[in-house]
Amino acid sequence: MTESAEAVDRAGHESRPVNDEVVRITDLSKTFHKRGLKALDDVNVTLRHGTFTSVIGPSGCGKSTLLKIMAGLIPATSGEILLNGKPVTGPRQDIGIMFQQPTLLPWRTSLDNVLLPIEIRSGSAAAKAHSEDALKLLELVGLSGFDQVRPYELSGGMAQRVAICRMLVTGPAILLLDEPFGALDELTREYMNVELQRICRERDATSFMVTHAIPEAVFLADQVFVMSARPGRIATVVDVDLPRPRTLDMMTTPEFGALVRRVRGTLDMGIDGGGLV
Amino acid sequence: MTQKTELQGAPSAMSAAEETWYSGTWIDRIPQPVSITVLGALMLGVWWLIYEIEFVSQVLLPGPVETFEELWDATTNILTGGHVAEGLWITTQEVIWGFLTAGILGFVLGVVVGETRLGRKAVMPYLVAFNALPKVAFAPVFVAWFGFGVNSKIVMAAFIAFFPVIVDTAAGLAAVDADTLMLFQSMESNRWQTLRKLKLPSALPFIFAGLKTAAVFSVVGAVVGEYLGGGHGLGELIRFSAQTLRIDRVFALIVYLGVIGIVLFGIVAWTERKLLYWHKSDLLEVEGKFTAGA
Ligand SMILES: Nc1ncnc2c1ncn2[C@@H]1O[C@H](COP(=O)(O)OP(=O)(O)O)[C@@H](O)[C@H]1O
Ligand SMILES: [Mg+2]
Repeated sequence: MTESAEAVDRAGHESRPVNDEVVRITDLSKTFHKRGLKALDDVNVTLRHGTFTSVIGPSGCGKSTLLKIMAGLIPATSGEILLNGKPVTGPRQDIGIMFQQPTLLPWRTSLDNVLLPIEIRSGSAAAKAHSEDALKLLELVGLSGFDQVRPYELSGGMAQRVAICRMLVTGPAILLLDEPFGALDELTREYMNVELQRICRERDATSFMVTHAIPEAVFLADQVFVMSARPGRIATVVDVDLPRPRTLDMMTTPEFGALVRRVRGTLDMGIDGGGLV
Repeated sequence: MTQKTELQGAPSAMSAAEETWYSGTWIDRIPQPVSITVLGALMLGVWWLIYEIEFVSQVLLPGPVETFEELWDATTNILTGGHVAEGLWITTQEVIWGFLTAGILGFVLGVVVGETRLGRKAVMPYLVAFNALPKVAFAPVFVAWFGFGVNSKIVMAAFIAFFPVIVDTAAGLAAVDADTLMLFQSMESNRWQTLRKLKLPSALPFIFAGLKTAAVFSVVGAVVGEYLGGGHGLGELIRFSAQTLRIDRVFALIVYLGVIGIVLFGIVAWTERKLLYWHKSDLLEVEGKFTAGA
């Protein structure tokens, strides 16, 4: 804990001018025709380089659907997504993704799990050539020495850190995270939030994270998108101008509390506000 | 550093959890070797008692002593290469060929069924329905088609053992984790890569469950084939012994049938343990989940 806290303090990047656009989503809609369900309606999003965006909203409002469309995993019904100026029409190497479950292959070591995206795209030889990069990534997330360990020997938090490395190994332009720490206990989750902030700052990453925990959303984000359901749309954008790097202590400050209240206030929880912290 | 302790701490925490306040009655505390021996002796005792008081005719139910004598005779016969050895060898061959045919065919077709939409939607329901049929009922048909030699027995063994393999293989491929599949999609994995690097390895516990069932079923198939189709295997020896009311010999020969099944099952289980080193606790859960009786 202390090690990583130091790393966060040390990082202290200058606040860079952030104008360069990584993702631009225009008038995106998605209808699931089989069920005649309009999952997303008229979504417009701009993500700038090096920023962290949290997405929060009631269950079933289309958060995962939006993320999958951004990842090129399912097509949009209308609208356009540009990633680094090029339309997303399918999965791409410059898109990194991670889910609530670590989805590690249990028969592979941590190292081989991290190298999997390279192995799939460019073959085993290329994967082998990137071993050093993968080891550095494992070191970055605090897992040096665990490269030959298999998933069943890892705790939930450790497994998610391996998944982070796997997401980062191809050097993606955008990180898409779907409730990445939703299955972890509260303490591990807070720790992972601090870690993710440090990793994102060190890699200067552009991140887009779905979550159902308001404090987590605020803690990590430069901006919080609050979505509403039926049809799913971005109802409000809450800018978070807390200084970085953020520490867990900040979560008890009045400023943080005010932001959490603002997000909570804009959340239309529908009939069942289930799962919202 | 904290992670290291986390890792090493896990096993000791597990064993500590087993020590609970409740320690059971004295019966639960008997060591396993003792309880197994006592229970075995008890069963032999009951058997011997039933024999001694002639609860049923001694001709129909031989005692343990007679049976062990007969088992001894069968063993010497096998060791000296007599007709029991010949029968054991014939049945073993039938079982092995039946098992191999079922294993290879079931696996290959299971992959085809599990990997194609048509297979999953159209073929799988038929397989499940077929699997529920009493397949031994087909034995006379195979005898009619393939004659009284070993072929009809091999076909019968393969036929019975085939279904658990194909059904479990297809089910295992279909049971792949949806998120991991999506991950492979995001890595632009082609169909062959997804099959080889994700689906087949994660289906292995299912496939081995099918193969273990097949190991047992192929012995059933071979013996049923021999009962109905003659030949010179153990099944025929058993049938003949029963007709001449040598039940003690029947029992002795059944023990050797069991040996064939146990050895084959053991080989499959051993291979599974070697291959599935990564697959720890859920091993027993999956076993036999998708297989109905023969
Ligand atoms: N493949 C699909 N086919 C039909 N409906 C879907 C599909 N995927 C998601 N949906 C529906 O779209 C809506 C949004 O789902 P999702 O994006 O998973 O919500 P969230 O992640 O915000 O909880 C839900 O009503 C869900 O049932
Ligand atoms: Mg979701």
